[in-house]
Amino acid sequence: MKNKRIRRTRSTVFGQDVGSRRHRPDYALGIISLILLSVGLVVVYAMSPGLSTLAQVEDTHFIYRQMLAIGLALVAFIIFARLPFTFWRTLTRPLIVVTLVALLATQFIGSGGANASRWVQIGGLSFQSVELLKFTLIIWLSGFLAMRQRNQELNDIQKTLKPIAIVLLVTGFVVAVLQSDLGSMGVVAAIIVAMLFVAGLSFRWMAVGLASVLIGGLVLIASSPYRQERVATFLNPQSDCLEEGYQACQALIAVGSGGLFGKGIDRSAQAYGYLPEAANDSIFAVLAEMFGFLGVVAVVGLFIALFTRMVRIIERAPNNESRLIVVGVLAWLSTQAFINIMAMVGLFPLKGITLPFISYGGTSLIFVTAAVGLVFNISRYTTYSVHDDMLSKRFLGKRKERRREDSTQRRRYGRTHYSHSLHRS
Amino acid sequence: MYEDNTNQTNPIARTRLWYVFLLLLSCLVLVRVFYLQVIQHDYYTSAARSGQFKEYEIPASRGIIEAHDGGRVVPIVLNEPKYTLFFDPLHIEDYQTTADTILAAVPSIAIDRADLLSMMQQDSRYVIVAKKLSEEKAEELTALELRGVGLREESQRAYPQGDLAAQVLGFVNDEDQGVYGVEQALNDALRGVPGELRAVTDARGVPLAANPENISVEPKQGSRVLLTLDVGLQKQLEDILESGLEHAGSDTGGALIIDANTGAIKAMANLPSYNPARFTEVSQEESHVFTNDLIASPLEIGSIMKPFTMAAALDSGVVDKNTTYYDPNQFTIDGATITNVAESSGVGIRSMEDILQLSLNTGATWLLKQMGGGEINEQARTTWHSYMTEKYFFGSKTGIEQGYEATGSVPSPVDGFGLNIQYANTAFGQGMTATPLQAAAAFAAIVNGGTYYQPRLVDAVSDNSGGNTQLIEPVVKKANIISPTASRDTRDLLLNAFSINYRTYGLDGLREGYDIGGKTGTAQVPNPEGGYYDYRFNGTFIGFVEGLDKTYVIIARVDDPSIGGYAGSTAAGPIFTQLAEVMIDSYGLQPKAQ
Repeated sequence: MKNKRIRRTRSTVFGQDVGSRRHRPDYALGIISLILLSVGLVVVYAMSPGLSTLAQVEDTHFIYRQMLAIGLALVAFIIFARLPFTFWRTLTRPLIVVTLVALLATQFIGSGGANASRWVQIGGLSFQSVELLKFTLIIWLSGFLAMRQRNQELNDIQKTLKPIAIVLLVTGFVVAVLQSDLGSMGVVAAIIVAMLFVAGLSFRWMAVGLASVLIGGLVLIASSPYRQERVATFLNPQSDCLEEGYQACQALIAVGSGGLFGKGIDRSAQAYGYLPEAANDSIFAVLAEMFGFLGVVAVVGLFIALFTRMVRIIERAPNNESRLIVVGVLAWLSTQAFINIMAMVGLFPLKGITLPFISYGGTSLIFVTAAVGLVFNISRYTTYSVHDDMLSKRFLGKRKERRREDSTQRRRYGRTHYSHSLHRS
Repeated sequence: MYEDNTNQTNPIARTRLWYVFLLLLSCLVLVRVFYLQVIQHDYYTSAARSGQFKEYEIPASRGIIEAHDGGRVVPIVLNEPKYTLFFDPLHIEDYQTTADTILAAVPSIAIDRADLLSMMQQDSRYVIVAKKLSEEKAEELTALELRGVGLREESQRAYPQGDLAAQVLGFVNDEDQGVYGVEQALNDALRGVPGELRAVTDARGVPLAANPENISVEPKQGSRVLLTLDVGLQKQLEDILESGLEHAGSDTGGALIIDANTGAIKAMANLPSYNPARFTEVSQEESHVFTNDLIASPLEIGSIMKPFTMAAALDSGVVDKNTTYYDPNQFTIDGATITNVAESSGVGIRSMEDILQLSLNTGATWLLKQMGGGEINEQARTTWHSYMTEKYFFGSKTGIEQGYEATGSVPSPVDGFGLNIQYANTAFGQGMTATPLQAAAAFAAIVNGGTYYQPRLVDAVSDNSGGNTQLIEPVVKKANIISPTASRDTRDLLLNAFSINYRTYGLDGLREGYDIGGKTGTAQVPNPEGGYYDYRFNGTFIGFVEGLDKTYVIIARVDDPSIGGYAGSTAAGPIFTQLAEVMIDSYGLQPKAQ
């Protein structure tokens, strides 16, 4: 008890000033994540008979593994939610080392899909090093950019942009070229771009960056016949339903045949061998087949609710570093979710990327949930400011909660106390 | 605030910009999903159905065929599982490895590696690689667990008795249709009614569990058929036929044994024949071996017609058994001359016995004249025609359970040129055709007192598992086709002819307690280009063997034998006598009380 009280009154954690006192976290964040995890579990469970028949494993194989992954993910969430976010910054260097080791291990002892190794087997579980890379990138970049922001060097070519460009190129080489994982590369790039954008990179540099990303993307596409086929397939999936466009066609059939209300939880036929990667990359299509347009609206709504909570935490982040962490996580989850969903409905040419929380597959699930745990932890330290209120009122506001957070900030900084009547006006 | 953002762009505004972008993106997604799921729903539903919904025929198990073996019943046609190996190219992961693995596991499938590879690349979901693989090979292939490689079980006929009775049985072709023989005639009963399953399936075609759209109709299994044949007797008949043909210097012929009092065929075979298990190996030119000539190939039956003419004359009352007549040894009718063979020639008073024993063509012609009141006229022709077609049932199918039964032909008594000479010829079996079975069935009626039993090959029909057996009773097609007296008198004449001529047929002596009677037939082989070959003859023999309680009619035909003498006597006769002895010695024909 004593300990707890003391901690609550402290404004520094691990020797760093977080600018705000610890308070009640954003429980909605955890609840939404839990619902999304449950949706994934239900879908995997419902398609389990088909999956296990095709893979020739026991009926319970997939559902047990998914439950194990969710269990581990919850443990990770609790750890990340309880450890102050500043803790991870102290681990930046070890994290970078571990990430590099993991990437190297993947390259030399890994296994994976078509002529690229993307994961390493650890025990019975496979580990995708790119997930660790995303996490490490966010931790490092948030600290790095916050430091540059403090020194007003954010738009400095030598000090800021050059190191980031090097990081981008190196990860690009590893992820996009060696692992041939363009989807994950897109997520990594989106994380970097979003963090730079929110950190305040000038629009001039943003334009240069976007242009180079576009050019880089085009070069990547042009350099690989495999990717060219992907693009061609995307532009006209029906033309090639038996070969390259097969997955795209089957995904559209799954989504389209779901209808308004869905076929029912036990009625997905596309999961029975028609739709490749039905439990992983294509799980959204199966979900759409089972639960229809209403189910899709619910799931997209849950993601938007999650993103909205994160946006609110970004707005109220106690400092730049924590803000940028949340920005990175939001970029990660939103890019990955939209790329996945848009690929399934024929709006985006990529595949081979998981749907956060829902796709079957341990690594993604655990890292995504851990990242949300990190954001959850940051939500304990949010502060309040005037311009937050507009957004709060418009989109999110719950006065009661807000007041509790406000009080922590008011005492700390001694600013004017805004009364409730002011908010109402 | 802790951070000084005054000189920097506002991170919150930028975040909101990004947030709006995310909201727009999610709107785009929802609009697109609405388009796919609601507006385009029907299109994708039908696309899904065409991919997922499959219709299957649930094959009915074809009924097996059994036969007698003495007092036992034994299977003569069974089913055994065979496997079709197919590719689903979409699911083949590695062409090279898959091809190598298949070739290593079952080298005997004898397909080029290159062919296998090209099959894997076909634009189809079902490419047949090999058919009729054995169960062992199928098991080996299944154990390989190759993706995109499947096996489909199908049933194939198996013949535990080898090629016994092949033509009577027929076979089942690749389309599961019986062709030739019993398989063709009873195809519907044997095959049953296939069931059907229309179901949503997984990608490999395995139906998914209960789905409201699934439709399943159970098959009605095929019936089991017990033939009248006795496999032991059939084997003996085939052996005797083979040695008989060899003895006669012929390669084509046939013989059958029918129970005169039930119409049940006890044995029936032709040579050359084939192995039904390997029917596919029979070439197009040799496909005539599939045909059961005894029922499908009518021929001019020749002098074996004379007992029929005699029975008709006796039955119509124009002669009796003891009638004698003046035989001028030749008749000229419509400008054509009817004569007798050299050994029988001579002018004089002839008896009814002489007509059959000496096989007098003039005698048969004289009998026909008597039906017309002394001359061949319309009355004679129509009377004789009605005997042939309405009592002996020449010219129409017997209804035997065989594919491709022929009718033969009997000339019209009122239409056509040279009717009188044509009808005179029919009196001794030329100018008309009949199948040996038609002759045997009618002959049975002549010797059994006048009852025409429908000839048949089926003794009983049961359900697929052998239960619910329905016995097939003898069917009287027509009673009293001739009077009992005419029947008895014709029998006596036949017994008399046989008792005088039996040595010609290779028999050493008559058997005490048994009645054996019969008549030879030697007919010129018709030339397909018209007329007859001068030195080519078909030999036939028809007769009966009777013990205490059974009478069997036996007919043998030998086509174009090279042995000397009259073909009916020297070629077909020995086959008859040997079969008659088999009936007495091996098939429990009890002697009559003395």
